[in-house]
Amino acid sequence: MASTSVSAKGRRGKTPPGTTRGAAEQHRRQLKLRPAGFGWILPALVLSVGVIYFCIGYNGFLSTQQNKGGIDGGTFIGLDNYRNALSNPLFWGALKHTLIFFLVVSLVQIGMGIIFAAMLHSKIHLAVVYKVIIFMPFVIAPAIMAPVHRQVFATEGPLNWILTNLKIQWLCDHIGINWVLEHLHLPTVAAQSWLAQTSTSLLVVIGVQIWSTIGFAFILFYASMGQIEPEMIEAARIDGATNPRILISLVVPSVRGTVLALLILNAITALKLFDYPYLMTRGGPVYTSDFLGTYIHREAVTLTNLGYAGALSILLLILAIGASVVMSLWSRRGE
Amino acid sequence: MFDVRSKVSQAILQLLLTLMVIPFVVPLYTMIAGSFKGQGWGNYKAVVSVKMFPYFFRNSAFIAICTIALVYATTMMAAYGFSKLRIPKREVFFWMMMACLTLPEVVLLAPLFKMAAGAGLYNTFWAVIIPISALQVPFTVLLTRTYVDGIPDELFEAARIDGAGTIRMFWNVLIPLTKPMAVAVVVLVLINAWNSYLLPLIFLMDPSYQVVTLLPQYFQGQYNDDQTKVMAGAVLTALPEIIAYISLQRFFERGMAAGALK
Repeated sequence: MASTSVSAKGRRGKTPPGTTRGAAEQHRRQLKLRPAGFGWILPALVLSVGVIYFCIGYNGFLSTQQNKGGIDGGTFIGLDNYRNALSNPLFWGALKHTLIFFLVVSLVQIGMGIIFAAMLHSKIHLAVVYKVIIFMPFVIAPAIMAPVHRQVFATEGPLNWILTNLKIQWLCDHIGINWVLEHLHLPTVAAQSWLAQTSTSLLVVIGVQIWSTIGFAFILFYASMGQIEPEMIEAARIDGATNPRILISLVVPSVRGTVLALLILNAITALKLFDYPYLMTRGGPVYTSDFLGTYIHREAVTLTNLGYAGALSILLLILAIGASVVMSLWSRRGE
Repeated sequence: MFDVRSKVSQAILQLLLTLMVIPFVVPLYTMIAGSFKGQGWGNYKAVVSVKMFPYFFRNSAFIAICTIALVYATTMMAAYGFSKLRIPKREVFFWMMMACLTLPEVVLLAPLFKMAAGAGLYNTFWAVIIPISALQVPFTVLLTRTYVDGIPDELFEAARIDGAGTIRMFWNVLIPLTKPMAVAVVVLVLINAWNSYLLPLIFLMDPSYQVVTLLPQYFQGQYNDDQTKVMAGAVLTALPEIIAYISLQRFFERGMAAGALK
């Protein structure tokens, strides 16, 4: 590799300086003079692309097989597994939960992330303590926290205790919040067995995921707000802008890139989701908190239905790549 | 961001923020309070005296260290190649790699099983380290490449004019300049390797190969669902990560900021 660099340097000496050419052309020429770098990306390519593309290929193969138990495939059945998946209400149910999850998590996580970041960029005592508390949930393993969350949401757990003893349920009953929620067919703010009900299990999984990922959104927003020029905010303030006005018209537009990045990440996370729903509800009760991840796991591991699981995996891959491409095109169009 | 000139509005902001972080504290409080219920420190003693307990930590640490080393080395090399060297059709390779970002572990189970069984890696740590690394590399390459793109080309050109080869430039220019990013990569990979649950669950059969994320299940089996022991185990498992994060917090933020904001 060292020899390549020397020869590139030699060639560079002979090239006349291209003062009349455009900057893009000059950049392209400089790129050509760089030492070859394929060897440097090879290990990463072999590791990630090698392993993962093999897995995709093997799933593709399995998805055309009628297979019970064996890892090596079975009889060829064409696209039957895909047909079965697309006509299965469980698949569409999991997809619906994925979409709800994506919308709610994105909305709350981005909203709260921006608010927390803006607050911690203001004059606050003990800012480090708040930062650590907000980010901590992102650090701890879902597998470790799941039993803790199961306790939090248990019938005799702290959440129900807070709702009852701090009179939050009473408050929501009396100011009409629960009346509105009831008419929207949403779960009310009241002590209940959160994990065992079909009406609340998805909500719990979403809540726990929000709890564990706000910190990540917060860190990104905190960093990108650090790059806003203080003079700009000062100027807006002199022009009479209020705090909410500055947040909406100045801060939010300047963290737009982070918002889009988080939307793409959340879409992928929603499609990949496994740990929390598996560990907290096993996708239940009656599949009300089932996601593609838990669905594939059930088919592949519990039912050893590898052909069908392979078809689901390929569908998931298509959805994930489709979602990322659509969203990045959408984000580029806006620029 | 918010303009709080008067003492009163400052106090209101502080109070509001404190109220808003309560939901973050409740589960952590539940975990710690739960771990002391009943026998108090006795719960911790019981957990620590389980014969397998040190193995869980040793195994997780081994997996985390190997994964970090593998991901760090391949990521730095790839970021250098993508950003500063000549690769024909490099964006094609880059996006091939980025497509891997979309895949969850659960999709890999059956093919990995096939691969691990074929290579004789089933029930070895490599059956966990290699797939975790494979899933981490696309994201760390994305972050690090963005970061390295921000380092001026002139620095590398100057080094080359001084006679440095590609390898020298990697060691003497790239590695020192990417330190903040390195911390972010290490912390992210540490979190993901230490927290990985499904792959160890499926691929490590031997009881002495179990990892910390399997502790709650182990205790649930061991202590007949005695939640106080499960909570004590949870505190002990979360502790190394919390310490690692708090001590690296500043660097981590700087690295994330630099890598993720372009």
